[in-house]
Amino acid sequence: MWLPLLGLILGLSLGLLTDIQIPTIYENYLSIAVLAALDTIFGGIRANLQQVYDDKVFLSGFFFNIALAAALAFLGVHLGVDLYLAAIFAFGVRLFQNIAVIRRILIVKWEERHIKKNKNTV
Amino acid sequence: MSKKIVTRITIVSFIVGLMIAVQYNTVQNPTARDTRDIWAIREELSQEKQKHSELLAEIANYNDVIRQYEDDDETSQAILLNNTVDDLKRQVGLLSVNGPGLVLNIGPAEELKEFGFDIEPIAPDLLIRLVNEIYRYDGLYIEIDGQRLTHTSPIRDINGVTTVNSIPIDKTSIEIKIITETFEKAEKLYGYLYASPFRDDFYLDNLDLKINEAQRDITIKEFDGKFSNDYLVENNKGE
Repeated sequence: MWLPLLGLILGLSLGLLTDIQIPTIYENYLSIAVLAALDTIFGGIRANLQQVYDDKVFLSGFFFNIALAAALAFLGVHLGVDLYLAAIFAFGVRLFQNIAVIRRILIVKWEERHIKKNKNTV
Repeated sequence: MSKKIVTRITIVSFIVGLMIAVQYNTVQNPTARDTRDIWAIREELSQEKQKHSELLAEIANYNDVIRQYEDDDETSQAILLNNTVDDLKRQVGLLSVNGPGLVLNIGPAEELKEFGFDIEPIAPDLLIRLVNEIYRYDGLYIEIDGQRLTHTSPIRDINGVTTVNSIPIDKTSIEIKIITETFEKAEKLYGYLYASPFRDDFYLDNLDLKINEAQRDITIKEFDGKFSNDYLVENNKGE
């Protein structure tokens, strides 16, 4: 359970310590990619909790979402329309939905455990 | 959670962390690139060098004065003091100055005069620009049409007449005298003025700016007005 968090911290510290920078013009793409990746992670966690997790869906979703978002942003830059907003909106909404679902599932699980404990003690 | 899923999510979150960190790095400290090439750096270095040598010369100058004060007896100290006061007066414009310099003549353009063009008086803006340009290229003292320029000299339009020190200047031909520190600097100033494009601006106003060669000895009159002093008060306590 703590392994993903450890991975996140490891990635963060590695990035901060190595001081890698990307050209400023690609900043938008990276921010969307971050959002897409976050969306994938929470989607994966939710799917796992709902017992519908599929490895292929998870990994393909990760790369495909990032690529799609970057492509949309690229297209937007060249058409003069802020299309990356569409990606941000879509990912943002899904992120909130996924987190809400995860929260509900966790609450239900916690309540079930609580009830079980109470039954045991009685 | 099975082990496989945890591993997958861990890898993805590692990537996410990396991406967030890179994004943070990029947003927080954008690299300021040094775009100067070797010549720009040399240029800056030479400017600093020049400032350095000017400061050194000034220090040497003041050291000389201090040494003279220390060495000499009281009577020559008084003379030295008077010299210093004279120097300051010369700088401010209360005494006439001799030295190497240039003479400029502004007059109506000959070929335009023949065709009957109107000769407008020289505009204050043009004169101010010329003065600024002269000061920029190391001109020390300037006299325009017999009027010594001081630190507070106004060049302006009063009722349609261009004035220097509030005195109208001759509108058809104006003589500008400039004194520089050395003859070399006068020659340099001549070169700068000769090459600079604002002679064309004079031609736009139907005027002709004639730049004469540098001369060894030019005299500039003193400022014949009176300096008004609104803020400083004389303090006689020491007497």
